Amino acid sequence: MDTQTLIDSYTNEVARRLPRGLRNEVGLELRALLADELKAASQAAGRAPDPDMTMDVLTRMGRPEEVAARYGEPRGFNVIEPEHGPSFVKVALFAVVVHWALTLVLSPELTFTEWWLSWGLGAFWWVGVLVVWYGLAAWIQRRTPVDPHSFYRPWTHYIFWVPVLRDWQPSVPDLDRFVYQNAKSLIPLSAAMTLLFASLAFLAPSGVDGSWAAYDADFRLWLLPPILALMVARLALFTFAVIRESARPRTEPIRFGLWVALVGMLLWALVGWQIFAHDLTNLVFKAWLAVFLLVNCVQIWAWIRRTTTRVRVPSNLASSRRE
Amino acid sequence: MELRRGVLVLAVLSQLRAPQYGYSLRQALEERGMPIEEGTLYPLLRRLEGQGILDSEWRIEEGPPRRYYTLSRKGEELCKEFTRSWRSLIATMDHLLD
Repeated sequence: MDTQTLIDSYTNEVARRLPRGLRNEVGLELRALLADELKAASQAAGRAPDPDMTMDVLTRMGRPEEVAARYGEPRGFNVIEPEHGPSFVKVALFAVVVHWALTLVLSPELTFTEWWLSWGLGAFWWVGVLVVWYGLAAWIQRRTPVDPHSFYRPWTHYIFWVPVLRDWQPSVPDLDRFVYQNAKSLIPLSAAMTLLFASLAFLAPSGVDGSWAAYDADFRLWLLPPILALMVARLALFTFAVIRESARPRTEPIRFGLWVALVGMLLWALVGWQIFAHDLTNLVFKAWLAVFLLVNCVQIWAWIRRTTTRVRVPSNLASSRRE
Repeated sequence: MELRRGVLVLAVLSQLRAPQYGYSLRQALEERGMPIEEGTLYPLLRRLEGQGILDSEWRIEEGPPRRYYTLSRKGEELCKEFTRSWRSLIATMDHLLD
């Protein structure tokens, strides 16, 4: 990652932990301050900023959850510390949902009302257990703050899994940057994939029984053309954005729209259509497609999350920033 | 440690009679023997602004846009009051320590 991506990634992580109304304002200011700090570090070191130098600046600033907590009002007594809040919600939700899913499957003899009044409501004891657990973890952390670089930590920190383990590291890889940097190999690969999908509809190897690779007639007639059209449109737009770098920001939302549409169509094909006429081919392809779609859904979720928490420069300041 | 934390706000207010942005304020404080960690100072500025003690505005001067802070009317009064309290405290402590 380059220095600006590291700063943006860090700023976004701080911003997404702040109240919604503060996010952009504080994020924008933090980014400018970190740029000043990096410039000063670069001048002191007598060399251009690099990722290691940037990481030093970010480490000095503190972990995003700590910095976000400092931007809030001075804290009073909290059972669960604000920086542990998101993790508490995730763990509590996970425990309750797993509890419900398991007890629904393992107690088929119960009516829904019987289940809700026993196992259903009973699942909330997890929340109580976790409140006590996180409360104790926060109390231990307040009383005995631990050097995150120290190998030896009090045993209580291990038991309560007090989250002071390491310095911040960028967690979300910059997929777009990766894609553009590897465009030379990705464009031919995507073109080959598109060609392969298209060719299966028209080509049959001479002298070889190709029926196992033939599309289902209905799928070929109704769903294949729009799917191929979306694949070709995405590829063309991506190639255009690679050639004309200045057009990238404008093409990004369209590419995202095409991506979501393609994933939606493929999802529909997976659950509602016979794709290949041959049953075994259909099964194997659908298994692969399921994995492919799962990965893509996670990427789309990450893209939306990154975009919605991205710090944006207001239009009155944007022109000067580009200069 | 606690003693230093207690005077942090007064140190910051004392340097904001003229507008400063975060990094320039940190430099000014460091040059005058009061280094403050960036992770402490920058959030503090926002909190003081939120309490109406500081005013702020975005400005574009030599480089990227920066947020400049200065004392509000309430901040000026608070700064004078803190300064009086601080001087009185010093006199008392000198008296106790001598």
